[in-house]
Amino acid sequence: MREFHPLVKRWLDGELTADQLGAELAAELAEARALLSGVDHSPVTLGQGLDQRVMAAVRSRPATRWQRAWRWIGTAHELRLRVRPWAVAALAAAAMLVILLAPARQVRGPAVAQAPESVYVKFVLFAPGAHQVSVAGTFNGWDAHATPLARADAPGVWAATLSLPAGQHLYAFVVDGRRWVADPTAPGVDDGFGRRNSILAVTPRGARVS
Amino acid sequence: MLGSPDAAEDAVQDAFIRAYDQLAQCRDPDNFAGWFFLILRNRCFAERRRTKREAVADVSQDELPGPGRADRDAERSETQQLLARGVSELTAEQREVFVLKHVEGKSYDEIAAATGATVASLKMRMHRAYDRLRAYLKERT
Repeated sequence: MREFHPLVKRWLDGELTADQLGAELAAELAEARALLSGVDHSPVTLGQGLDQRVMAAVRSRPATRWQRAWRWIGTAHELRLRVRPWAVAALAAAAMLVILLAPARQVRGPAVAQAPESVYVKFVLFAPGAHQVSVAGTFNGWDAHATPLARADAPGVWAATLSLPAGQHLYAFVVDGRRWVADPTAPGVDDGFGRRNSILAVTPRGARVS
Repeated sequence: MLGSPDAAEDAVQDAFIRAYDQLAQCRDPDNFAGWFFLILRNRCFAERRRTKREAVADVSQDELPGPGRADRDAERSETQQLLARGVSELTAEQREVFVLKHVEGKSYDEIAAATGATVASLKMRMHRAYDRLRAYLKERT
């Protein structure tokens, strides 16, 4: 197979003009011209029905896994459950457990603050010589360190605002971590150990100390 | 590329359907045309391999006009018909670069960007295509 001269190939590539080839390549140049003259530049037109055929083929494509899943989610289905008696008993036991545990968790957990029946209660104590004041009660497990009061604007006044669930609460202030003091503005009850606790009634409408 | 308008339409149709199926894999939606070109190119190469296998199985098929070829040939000059048949004898890679450059009028840089091949390798394919076409035309004129 006779090959085109490299310069003729470069002419075919459009990198050289015919003048740059030289007379000795004239015959090859003529062959190259003949070759390019056979290139059909007429535009290619696709059949008019191509669009319809493509769309028909696309519509008939089987749905992908996700498309099938999405279709299943959006379609109503009839569900039939066959439940065994022991499963019913287990479910009932589980439900009972949830019911029994739920109130205890509400009292101790922080969810109390978000409970819809919770009420914000402001605890205030006038203790001018105190360095640290907290409030302990049934709402925080009588933890003397769980709920500290902060110094208020007025001198000697300590205050803290808590969200408490509806119900009756017993409480007392703890001054400097050692001294338990009943709220002088609230009714109190004897705790059975020689101290008095204060009583607070919280309802959805507010808190009462009397 | 495929030497037949019918085969070309089938390839375009298949490419569109394949693009639809794999649309989620199009990483650069701004270059959808380039992505679609590669799908169509692969489809053409696959078709080329398939017809080549069939031609090997039945050599006489190669001499028969393909579907639609007779009508098309009637509108072409003798040189165009001869060259078209010569182009169909090239390898798929040689045919691709010849068609893109001399029929579509694209530069080597544009072809390289579309196909992922280097300009040097494209030129090598093209220059071999020139030689093969030259020999093909010489034998038949």
